[in-house]
Amino acid sequence: MKIETYEQIMRAQLSRRRLLQGAAMTGAAAALGTAGGLGGFASPAHAQASGLSDAEKALRKQILQIPGVGKGSPTDADYRKVGELCLAPTKAAIKEGEFKGVELTFMGLNNQNTHDFLFRGFLHSWEEYTGAKINWIDLAQADYNARLQQAISTGTIDWDMLEMGAPFEGDVCGRGLTSEMPDWVKKMIDTEDYVNYLKPPVGTWDGKLYRVSIDGDCHNFNYRTDYFSDKDLAKAWKDAGHKGEWGLPKTWQEVQEVTKFLKGKTIGGQPAWGYLDPPKPWGGFGFYFLASRTTAYAKYPGEAAWLFDPDTMKPRVNNPAFVRAIQDVVDALPYEPPNQINADPNETGFAEFLGGTGSMVVWWGDVGAAAKTSDTSVVGDVCGFSILPGSDDVYNSKTGKWEKPSSGPNYAPNLAYLGWGIYVMKKVDSDDKKHKAAWSAAAHLGGKDLALWTSAYPSGFQCYRNSQHDIDEWVEAGYDRGYITSYLDSQFNSYNHPNAAIEPRIPGIFQYYSLAEDELAKVFAGQEKPQEGADKIAAAWEKLTDQLGREQQIKFYKAALGK
Amino acid sequence: MTASASMAAADNEPEFDNPDIVGAHARIAAGKALIWAASILFVAALLVQTLYAAGAIGFGFATWRPILYAYALWGIALGVGQVMARGEAGLRALFVLPAALFTLAVAIFPTLFGFYIASLDWNLAALGGPHFNDFDNFVQMFHDPYYWNALANMVFYVVMVLAEYAIAFGLALLLNAEIRARKFFRVAFLIPFMLSPVAVSWMIGKSLMEYRFGPLARLARDFGWQTPAFFAYPWTARFTIEALDAWMWIPFMVILLLAGLQAMSKEVIEAAKVDGASPWQAFWKVTFPLMLPVSITTLLIRIIFKLKLADIVITVTGGGPGGATDTVSSFIYRVYRDRSNVGYGTALAMFYLILIILFLMLLLRIAKRFTRNVV
Repeated sequence: MKIETYEQIMRAQLSRRRLLQGAAMTGAAAALGTAGGLGGFASPAHAQASGLSDAEKALRKQILQIPGVGKGSPTDADYRKVGELCLAPTKAAIKEGEFKGVELTFMGLNNQNTHDFLFRGFLHSWEEYTGAKINWIDLAQADYNARLQQAISTGTIDWDMLEMGAPFEGDVCGRGLTSEMPDWVKKMIDTEDYVNYLKPPVGTWDGKLYRVSIDGDCHNFNYRTDYFSDKDLAKAWKDAGHKGEWGLPKTWQEVQEVTKFLKGKTIGGQPAWGYLDPPKPWGGFGFYFLASRTTAYAKYPGEAAWLFDPDTMKPRVNNPAFVRAIQDVVDALPYEPPNQINADPNETGFAEFLGGTGSMVVWWGDVGAAAKTSDTSVVGDVCGFSILPGSDDVYNSKTGKWEKPSSGPNYAPNLAYLGWGIYVMKKVDSDDKKHKAAWSAAAHLGGKDLALWTSAYPSGFQCYRNSQHDIDEWVEAGYDRGYITSYLDSQFNSYNHPNAAIEPRIPGIFQYYSLAEDELAKVFAGQEKPQEGADKIAAAWEKLTDQLGREQQIKFYKAALGK
Repeated sequence: MTASASMAAADNEPEFDNPDIVGAHARIAAGKALIWAASILFVAALLVQTLYAAGAIGFGFATWRPILYAYALWGIALGVGQVMARGEAGLRALFVLPAALFTLAVAIFPTLFGFYIASLDWNLAALGGPHFNDFDNFVQMFHDPYYWNALANMVFYVVMVLAEYAIAFGLALLLNAEIRARKFFRVAFLIPFMLSPVAVSWMIGKSLMEYRFGPLARLARDFGWQTPAFFAYPWTARFTIEALDAWMWIPFMVILLLAGLQAMSKEVIEAAKVDGASPWQAFWKVTFPLMLPVSITTLLIRIIFKLKLADIVITVTGGGPGGATDTVSSFIYRVYRDRSNVGYGTALAMFYLILIILFLMLLLRIAKRFTRNVV
């Protein structure tokens, strides 16, 4: 769709809105109407902060107004317009019609009508300009792993480009199935702008770069500000003889204490609840939530490994740090809502926390992104964010002892999943034109400006570039300064934390997680003691490592840790 | 004239002088030759491809699709060859042959292939690919507490079929009686059966029974259950899953039993009444025994479906809490989908298939004894 056509449609829509909704909406429509021109939005402060040229700033401001924060969910027309506005780097590198006759197949997800749906819109103008055609394979998240593994195992890879999370890099890049990123793409997408943890070794195998990042992932700590500023709760806290002032817990020890304290209390006439654990298995992804409770205990500063011993692949999941975290969940569950044992992460984050139940939850950035924009959220005005809580002591797996850091609690944000990326398959390397076309499409999707838009609107993708941490840019787009500062800080302070726990990108990682989930479910249901369950997980992991090939797994794990 | 007829007519003539006999012999020979040629071609293609796939030879097809074509060609040649070689008997064979070949291709071969897969150590994420590992998968299965836990749960679910049957019988009797709006109720009772299990899981298991705002949870609170967490405790979770499944499937049992009741002679019941039998005696001494064949069929079909229970469990509880609601199918689903463990998952499925076959054979034998005096 041409920009002029899009704007005509938008003008027509706005006219109807003006008629129906009156003068208040007219102001918003007028604001949107002025968004079409370039160069009229430069803010000196912003320019100084970001180091971007006026034209770049204007473009970023323009796309952030599509459709506009608080003006409903974006549509395909919006995706197309944003894609077209961000096409300049492609036009600079590729001649018009250069890929005429090229057909590419793209395999990605269709989660919540995002992912591939956005990519189609973003790439529409790219297809028109370059002459290439893209065919789509849309998968539900639940089918993704099976489809990917079956295709690899049976040698039937039928796609040229792949949307994939970094944890699968061991399965795909580790087998030499992906195409190495050309230098011109590195420059085009400005890989130097990536947050540190997404820089190599993430995206690389044997020193070669394969991934165009489009997302950043970590678990952050979401909490209710009204709980921790409530005077009645503060008084009750004092009356109960707790140490210190009533406030946001900074460590998991405090989270436990607050969770136990809150049971039986009320806030705003409703039952008050503390931390929400998601004990129900979730296809392996549920293990991340135990890991987030564990990293502060298990991730020793200066040592990258925390899940396995890197030289032997001996699991650490049954060491005292993990067992303590499992015990924490077991201890906390009786103080959480009665049905919590049957809550998976999705229910915990979106149905419970955003629905007003519970005061603390760990999740990826989606909870914060939805808190203010989702119709089902009731906590948008009382939601705060921080990095994961720390721990007063940390387990040193080398000495086998707990240590109390002199500098204060040990913090270790869990960089869970490492975000989505676009990968080009090696099979296109034999065709120069197709190879260039595929990398051009991937570079377009991984562009710097497009990244800003996807993190500001519902897309399934979070921030992954330093350039996305310009608060003024977000405030100008319509976000509340306090809210967005808290949210972005929780993300970026996790990404850039010196003791962050990195995802082990080894083949079959979700098989490890899934096995753990089954055993943990028994522990959480009271059928096994934490140590007993953890030992069984470790035994199952050892067996799986042998099945997958121990030497190979050691090699991949070390590569994932950057060793 | 058919080959056999022409041979009979020429009984009195020397064979080498009779053109009909010579022609028939030639046709028979051609038919046999066709079958042999097609069989050799098919076996050769299969052998070459198997050796190629195993890496023993350097030539073969890129995919297994040509083997499928060879099988189809062999099937056609077998049919034509049968007619040529056996005349009318061959023509009669054509009524069965396509069905037999189809069954071989889509049921018998996949089952045998399933046993082959079950003997492999095949994890899709393993770089080494699949390899034969004797009966290790079955040995592992016997030491797998999750599998046996799921089997134990299946015993509970299967036993509960008896309760479902009792309710279904009662409803069938009700719908068979002269009640108002009988036709409406017969259709209305079927609605749960028409619903998708996933939809039922969401609408009832995850919405109506939702702990905080679900209407059923609120109703339970009104009745004095202050923490109506339907899926938080092992036995409540098991019974709730069973109730959801029963709600969907009882209508199916009702329809079968109702058909049986309607087919039953009313004179027998009237005769019992004339003889002074009470309603209970009429049911227990007359209706129930006469309904035994239908009841057995109903129970067997229901048990077969019950043994495949998975969708509601996967959607609502994921097998929890702590495996309390897990079924064999939902466990196998996790082994396949979440763990890509194809060899082990197939071994579990094949063993379960054998168990189901043995169990149903046993049931049929018992049922035969029960119904011997009725039929």
